[in-house]
Amino acid sequence: MEPILKVEHLAISFGNNQVLKDVNFELEDNETLGVIGPNGAGKTVMLDLLTGILKPTAGKIIFMGQDITHKSITERVYMGLGRTFQVPRAFEKLTAYENVMVGGVFGNKMSQKAAGARAEEILELIGLTDKMTTVAGTLGILNRKRLEIGIALASKPKVLLFDEVAGGLTETEIGAILDIVATLKKEGYSIVWIEHVIQTMMKGTDRVLLLAEGKNVICGEACNVMASEEVERVYLGVKKK
Amino acid sequence: MNRTEIKEARKTSPVIKPVIFAVIVLALISMPLWGSRYSLSVAVLVLLYLSLAQMWNLLSGYTGLTSLGQQAFIGIGGYAIAVTTQAYKMPLVAGFIVAGVVAVVFALVISAPIFKMSGVYFTIGTWIIAEALYIFFVNWKFVNYGIGYPITAAYRIRPEVMYWISLVVGLGSIVIVVLVLRSRLGLGLMAIRDNAASAEVRGVRLYRSKLIIFLIAAIWVAITGCLLFMNQAYIIPSSAFSIDWTIAMVFMVIIGGSGTIEGPVIGAIVYIILRQYLYNFPGISNIILGVIAIIIILIAPKGIMGFINKRFNLDIFSIRRKPKRK
Repeated sequence: MEPILKVEHLAISFGNNQVLKDVNFELEDNETLGVIGPNGAGKTVMLDLLTGILKPTAGKIIFMGQDITHKSITERVYMGLGRTFQVPRAFEKLTAYENVMVGGVFGNKMSQKAAGARAEEILELIGLTDKMTTVAGTLGILNRKRLEIGIALASKPKVLLFDEVAGGLTETEIGAILDIVATLKKEGYSIVWIEHVIQTMMKGTDRVLLLAEGKNVICGEACNVMASEEVERVYLGVKKK
Repeated sequence: MNRTEIKEARKTSPVIKPVIFAVIVLALISMPLWGSRYSLSVAVLVLLYLSLAQMWNLLSGYTGLTSLGQQAFIGIGGYAIAVTTQAYKMPLVAGFIVAGVVAVVFALVISAPIFKMSGVYFTIGTWIIAEALYIFFVNWKFVNYGIGYPITAAYRIRPEVMYWISLVVGLGSIVIVVLVLRSRLGLGLMAIRDNAASAEVRGVRLYRSKLIIFLIAAIWVAITGCLLFMNQAYIIPSSAFSIDWTIAMVFMVIIGGSGTIEGPVIGAIVYIILRQYLYNFPGISNIILGVIAIIIILIAPKGIMGFINKRFNLDIFSIRRKPKRK
């Protein structure tokens, strides 16, 4: 079967600084692909390229068989790419319920009534029902991360792009996020998930991609990647024999 | 209970609110019957300034488009009325229509360059455009250069008719803002205000949303401009395109409460009452206004309405979307 998302030779430079040199990967339908890599490896930049916030200097992004490399941010949302941000970017003065509605009304072009009904379902799925009418700016970190996922879900995405949804959380809180991800997988979503917390990647993903020095170094089942020499080399600086 | 939590809106009986609204509107409509001539003229000013304040709040408080150039549209409105009724002897209605059309065309033309700017650059850009328009009018034969026009058609309008038209424009501005904010567009605007970059990633079309609001404000401010200059019965470029208009709008919205619908209402009333007294202090009236604004901002950073909202959790116009459950 055709992969739902395919990235070919993706590269981007800021002036002389070549952040991504040659990134390639495929995301299968209903797969959760973890992306790890040291600080500055270009993980978030890669998500910015996938969502259209940044334009690549070379390479191609193919989403559901269509080349979306030159499509606008909003077009990609309408096609079914949803994302969360590392630093939560909820709409501070709107309630959690209204925040999720924004995703439905604009990302999925629903009426306010339909988006409202869907928002209630989503808030239940992400465990925020009791905070529905709370203004987003006053939510705690876990709930903000949940809300990020909720807003992304409301746009009825086919592929979800998670940027450190478990970053900065305690172990119990990470458990809550892992539960949500498991539910999403059951519901058929495909996910690209950037994370620093290795444990989370082992538990929550099907495959892991290691990104370093602007390239994909190795990709495979989580435990195999974690045990690989490449991870040792990239993270611990141990040289190849 | 946590203050930040939005309480259920319909704590009070659902009948009470419409009844209070109806009583207020009826009282306002019948004002020429019970109010004095002087109170009627003050009410006209309050209503017209209310309209300006609502539109500025829609732009700045809800969309994040902080314009210092809205006087461009006041001037366009004023001149539309003056030129159509004075130079071409057309009826007043024609003046209003021309004002709206010219405002839309002008807003469309300037939208392309100014929407490329954001934040403080947008603010300065709008101001420069209004100033440029002023200089253009001073040198434009068609509008009688800097000499301007009397608006004699305004003399033929009875004070109560002037009041009723102003009432429609003033209350209409509230209705427009409420309708816009309750619509899909309104939800998108508030998202843009809170975080434009994030709103775009959620599928909100930034350019289109901003443009629609800019056009709505342009039309309504131009129509308000028609009435403001009918009220003054004379127009010259320096008064038509004066930055004082925008100072008034900023003052009303800031002290009333930016990003609330009630705020501009309070702001307009306070501003007009203050102004009636500040006539006694020519030259330093703006300084006094500024000092008052600073004091209010220090005491209540979110304006009078922000202060009241926080204390009493009021939600008069119900912009919040509420879940069915809970």
